[in-house]
Amino acid sequence: MKRRYPRKKKVLLVNITRLGDMLQATPTIAGIKQENPDCHITVLVEKQVEDVCHILPHIDQVIGIDLGFACRALAAEGSGIIDAYQYVSSLVDRLKAEEFDYCLNMSSSAYTAILLRLLGIQNTGGWSSDEEGYRVIESEWTRLFATSVHHQNRQFNSLNLVDVFRCSADVEQHPRKLLVQIEPAAKEHCQKLLSEAGFTNTGPLIAVQAGASQAKRQWSPARFVEMVRLLDKKYNARIVLTGAPKELSIVNPIVEGCASSNVLSIVGKTSIPQLAAMLSLCDVLVTGDTGPMHIAVAAGTPVVSMFLASAYGFETGPYSEGNLVLQPVIGCGPCNPNKPCSKPDCHDMLNPELIAHLAAARALGEVTEVPHELAPPHQVIVYRSQFDDVGFCDLVPINCPEGDRFTRHRTAYRKLWLDDLGGLPLPAANSASRAQRGLRVIDEGLEGLSEISACAERGQGLMSELKQLILDTRAPAAQLARVNSSVVELDREIEELGYRFGPFGALTRMFIFAKENLKGSDALSLASQMNSVYRDLSRRCEKFRQFYQEA
Amino acid sequence: MKSQEALSEIMRSDWNRRVRHDYRFWITNEVSSGSTLWEDGARDFEMIHHGITPDPSHTALEIGCGVGRMLPAARKLYQRVIGVDVSSSAIEKARELLCSHEGIEVHATSGCALSGIESGSVDFVWSFAALPHMPVRIIAAYLAEIKRVLCPSGIARLQMFVGGQSGVSETDTLRLRAFTKSNIEQALVSAGMALESITPTRFPLSDLLDDIGLEAVIVTARPAARHSEAIDVIARWLCPSGESASESSLASSQFEAWFALHYADKLYHDGDFDRARDALEYVTQYCKAAQIDIRDTLENIEQAAKRSTKTAGVSSPPDFYSTNMAVLRERFPSVYHQLRAHSQSSTSTIEIRETAEGPTLWFNKTCMDHPQKPRSGADAWVKRSLNDSRMSKASHLCVVGMGCGYHLESLVVRGSHAVSCVEPSIESFVRAIRARDMSHLLGQLSNLVVGEETGQLVCDGEAEVLVRPQEMVAHASFVQAFTSSFYGRRGLSVLHPRIAVLGPLQGGTLPIGQYTTSALSRLDQHVRGIDMSGFNGAYEKIGGLVRDDVRQNVSRQAYVEMLSAILLESFTEKPVDILICMAQAPISARALQELRRRGVVTVLWFLEDYLRFTYWREMARYYDHVFTIQRGPCIEAIQAAGAGHVHYLPAACDPYIHTPLEVSEEDRQTWGSPLSFVGAGYYNRQQTFANLAHYPFKIWGSEWPLCKPFDRMVQQNARRIAPEEYIKIFNATDININLHSSSERDGVDPTGDFLNPRTFELAACGAFQLVDERSLLAEAFDVGSEIITFNSLPDLRDKIDFYMERPEERKRIGERARQRALREHTYEARLRQMLSMIYGHEYQKLKSREQSSPWLEMARKADFDPELRERCEKAFARGAEPTLDGLVEDITLGQGNLTEAEQKLLFLFHVRKQITRMESEEAGKEK
Repeated sequence: MKRRYPRKKKVLLVNITRLGDMLQATPTIAGIKQENPDCHITVLVEKQVEDVCHILPHIDQVIGIDLGFACRALAAEGSGIIDAYQYVSSLVDRLKAEEFDYCLNMSSSAYTAILLRLLGIQNTGGWSSDEEGYRVIESEWTRLFATSVHHQNRQFNSLNLVDVFRCSADVEQHPRKLLVQIEPAAKEHCQKLLSEAGFTNTGPLIAVQAGASQAKRQWSPARFVEMVRLLDKKYNARIVLTGAPKELSIVNPIVEGCASSNVLSIVGKTSIPQLAAMLSLCDVLVTGDTGPMHIAVAAGTPVVSMFLASAYGFETGPYSEGNLVLQPVIGCGPCNPNKPCSKPDCHDMLNPELIAHLAAARALGEVTEVPHELAPPHQVIVYRSQFDDVGFCDLVPINCPEGDRFTRHRTAYRKLWLDDLGGLPLPAANSASRAQRGLRVIDEGLEGLSEISACAERGQGLMSELKQLILDTRAPAAQLARVNSSVVELDREIEELGYRFGPFGALTRMFIFAKENLKGSDALSLASQMNSVYRDLSRRCEKFRQFYQEA
Repeated sequence: MKSQEALSEIMRSDWNRRVRHDYRFWITNEVSSGSTLWEDGARDFEMIHHGITPDPSHTALEIGCGVGRMLPAARKLYQRVIGVDVSSSAIEKARELLCSHEGIEVHATSGCALSGIESGSVDFVWSFAALPHMPVRIIAAYLAEIKRVLCPSGIARLQMFVGGQSGVSETDTLRLRAFTKSNIEQALVSAGMALESITPTRFPLSDLLDDIGLEAVIVTARPAARHSEAIDVIARWLCPSGESASESSLASSQFEAWFALHYADKLYHDGDFDRARDALEYVTQYCKAAQIDIRDTLENIEQAAKRSTKTAGVSSPPDFYSTNMAVLRERFPSVYHQLRAHSQSSTSTIEIRETAEGPTLWFNKTCMDHPQKPRSGADAWVKRSLNDSRMSKASHLCVVGMGCGYHLESLVVRGSHAVSCVEPSIESFVRAIRARDMSHLLGQLSNLVVGEETGQLVCDGEAEVLVRPQEMVAHASFVQAFTSSFYGRRGLSVLHPRIAVLGPLQGGTLPIGQYTTSALSRLDQHVRGIDMSGFNGAYEKIGGLVRDDVRQNVSRQAYVEMLSAILLESFTEKPVDILICMAQAPISARALQELRRRGVVTVLWFLEDYLRFTYWREMARYYDHVFTIQRGPCIEAIQAAGAGHVHYLPAACDPYIHTPLEVSEEDRQTWGSPLSFVGAGYYNRQQTFANLAHYPFKIWGSEWPLCKPFDRMVQQNARRIAPEEYIKIFNATDININLHSSSERDGVDPTGDFLNPRTFELAACGAFQLVDERSLLAEAFDVGSEIITFNSLPDLRDKIDFYMERPEERKRIGERARQRALREHTYEARLRQMLSMIYGHEYQKLKSREQSSPWLEMARKADFDPELRERCEKAFARGAEPTLDGLVEDITLGQGNLTEAEQKLLFLFHVRKQITRMESEEAGKEK
């Protein structure tokens, strides 16, 4: 694989915000350690997540940042601002003293980018900022991350963000799963909880994480009640309800609605290590796209996960083999995470019977198919997670081989990025896409690609002209201005084409990021860099066309 | 015995000589020129005129007026005042000094007659400190003349001396003559007068006069119903033994020499060696008969002049003048020269009294030091003063009042502050530096200002004014003016109040609100302009909905109340320290009251004619400061209506807006004309301009009739003209007429005083204008050179015709007007003046508001990081809110590399943003 900084000695991973993000970083951390056995890895996380990091393997040091303190101090205004500033200063001083030689910022937030600039670490991956405060994305894999999560492009992406980040950190070798250490004491505690639960059923132990991070991703308690009842009555299952104390308002109605001795609520009763231990004891976890989902995956427990509203399975789905991912088929999904939804119709696409069936089936073993009557493909696509030939996580539909209407584009993009960014051997085309090839007469899906490609060609022509003008000291300034103006217009046209022809938004977004990250101020060098950017776009257009047609 | 003419000639010669030498010494009893001359004159006139209530139309005459020091005081009571003196040099000097006094005339006389003054034409005749120096026969001649010129109801007051015969020879023009009371009375009777009274009076050197048996008196007499007798007869009644013609030369000369020597000695002790030499030379040249050897004295002067340092005094009491002056010359040369140019008087209101701890200075019966224990009293006062944290925290104390300097020494010795001193009275200062050796103190002062010109006083940001309590009594108005000016100037450099400028809903003041905001911004003030014009539509709509005047008024008031409530919310969200309301700003009394309760300084710039727009009557009391464009009665009326302080502040120009333009041919076609007027169609303008229809005349603005004869003159359907449009008109017009509005007059308002903004705006554009005469115009422009006025319609026509033919002249005048406007009449200059006045009065209040600002606490706390501290101080200075947003609002990406502090602040900014977003996400809310 193409690498920027293969050798690392003292590594800082900035992954400040959430538990799930931290867990998703574990393959990368393991990979760095595997490829650089002598390196020392420090993670910088939000203070609340600090404890969890101790059960994550391969981390040598955890530094917690108390964002809560900073925010409280800022909210106090006046001299509170100085307190917050002082706190940041001491943090920066402490981090600088560590003399890191490599930093991977896994957070796209503006403040972590500025932090990297403050620390002045030479080699960085992920997001950083330049000396004037503008955000910089040097790594193409990180640009791909930013491109993929851009709302317009999300449904055309099939690369799990864990892999994208792993590649941002130049990690090729990795454990193909998330990692967590199960503490024996925690396991013992959970075993005791289970033994004292008074289950009368003897079937599978199924954990249910009912709470979700956003209201619109919250499947209703009534549906959970129906599903849990089915697990209890139909599948003889023992059910453990997990969650944080703030989720009691969701879980309590479920407990009351089921009124069963086979339903145990441990909501608010476990620490994160204990939750991990509990999940490791369960046969399967039914969940949304949540932190517990990643903990279960890390604990080696398969999950049946519902990707509702803005959640998108390809992007943040369970990163290990054999999990089941349910993605409702609805025109508005996945929706914009930053927008509320007053009528989440996607919730209706998933019926409790299907979830109960899949959970019970997965508890018994691998699930590779699902009855159409339970999972009509026009309502929901059920995917199974697996790794491709080059070690990238993928989702394969098991209730409709052809997948959804974006499958062909996703496949083409997957090949494109693995080939173009990673220099990796292409994975074999799966049977579903091959099966469709003969059915399509007109490649409507490529509409607009030629225009973008033509723009990329024009761009290279303009760059050639620009270079000549720069070298010709007698060239009139007006000519330079004309070319410059043409370049500005051309870039605008490319960006507009990306919006107009949605499937190619990812190509043009990568182009925009590349243009935003040109380096230096020397005119000739800038012209060369810009030429490369147009060339990249041109090449990617052609490769995409080829992969799309192959798909 | 010499003839009267010969005696007169001697008098003239003697007094001309003395005046040429030093009139201040010989005639005015050492009084200096300037205000003290007139003040002493007024005091003496009051003494001699006491008890008389004149008719203002009356005429008064002074015999022996010298340089005319009493005449201005008399002019205040009499319509015509005549001064006569035998000395042509004195009269010449009087003319020089009195040049600006109308109603006063001075004449050199023959010395014994009042020729030229009509008989019976004078109502009051007086003579002060003059007759006793005249030969008896001359006095007699004047008594007869007084009888002649006085009207039947007239009165004479003559200052004379009562005492025994003095033996002064008839040619002596210096020594004092005294007469018995009966002789005086009989002489008056002989002159056809009737004695009314002989009243003792205080006179300079009265103690000395007592010693030689002379008593100063004021003789009051009136004309009697009989003729005057011959002069010799009158003289014989006055001095029955007659005056000696012999031995007088020597005695007179000795007396004059003694006087001059005494003066030289005084100058020598004052360190004024040049003038001391002059006085000695006078003795040598003119008092030869006295045969006085001046060589020793001259030698002393020369040596002292060479040393220019401490010299042993020739007089007995210790005099530290030279010692102190030597330090002043070194440390404060301007004060040194000021004192040298100042002739010292022996003002009786100032005295030095000794105590066990040293001398003390008394001014008008007030001791400027502690009366018994000046040293320990000063220490105690300093200690008490420094208990005030404001004083103790200051690095520089500016003390008003010097006294004998004990308190200043006490302060200087502490070494905790830089100390400057302002002493309002030059005389007091001179007495003080005579009385004590203050050379060490003077060497330690940071700055010293003596007299009332305090403009040079440095007032840095950490300085405070410390006023001696005695000064509050002795120089109350000076203290108030100085303190105000001091803090006004200092406020401009150190205060950073948040200022809001509240504009009106509509009208001519609307752009002035914008100019005011821009000017304050250019003065580096933190200013927020509040444009209320968007609310005008609804305000106007009220008139369409409600017809009845009362209801309309009620509705409009309710609307203004609603706008006021919005404004209060805005000020709660973004507080202000000073609110400047432009005239007709839509804010209610209740809102102003509430703002004052919050400590906001409320200001009204009343750019209106106070007689036409009278809402100030109800609103003035809610403003701490009102600035008006009229003086005099306007200021008094608004003050009486309850405004805190009222100041004169005329309109101005904004040179960034009002500027010469290159007018394109197309614009010239649209906006240009040989003759133009921009403004609303007020009554007097309609009346006047209807008579200018035969000119190529364009009228721009609203409220103009569109009927004949205006139909061809009024442009664009009489719509309102925007500022950017009228700038084009000004520039594209050959002659701009500027007729101030009046709803009462037909044309030019003869009582018009204030200047409209157009006057300044036209000037700033370099445009030629013909403006109607205004009483305040001459203060702003040099009429005739920088601006041309008219006083009537015919005058206007004449001047249009005249200047229409003279484009070069118009251009020159316009350019001169522009230069003057840019120099003196910009909104920046006005606002600097306004702020200075506001800060002068509100300094402590605004300072204390600043002190309570969280920014200062933040800056102190940020001491560990100089860059952060500086950022806090800068944010404070630009008036930002004490929030993170306020701290980062001036960080602009793409303006160069970010500093570490900027990066840290942006880090925090984005942390807060991210956390807020996440919380919002979790709550399922829209971002």
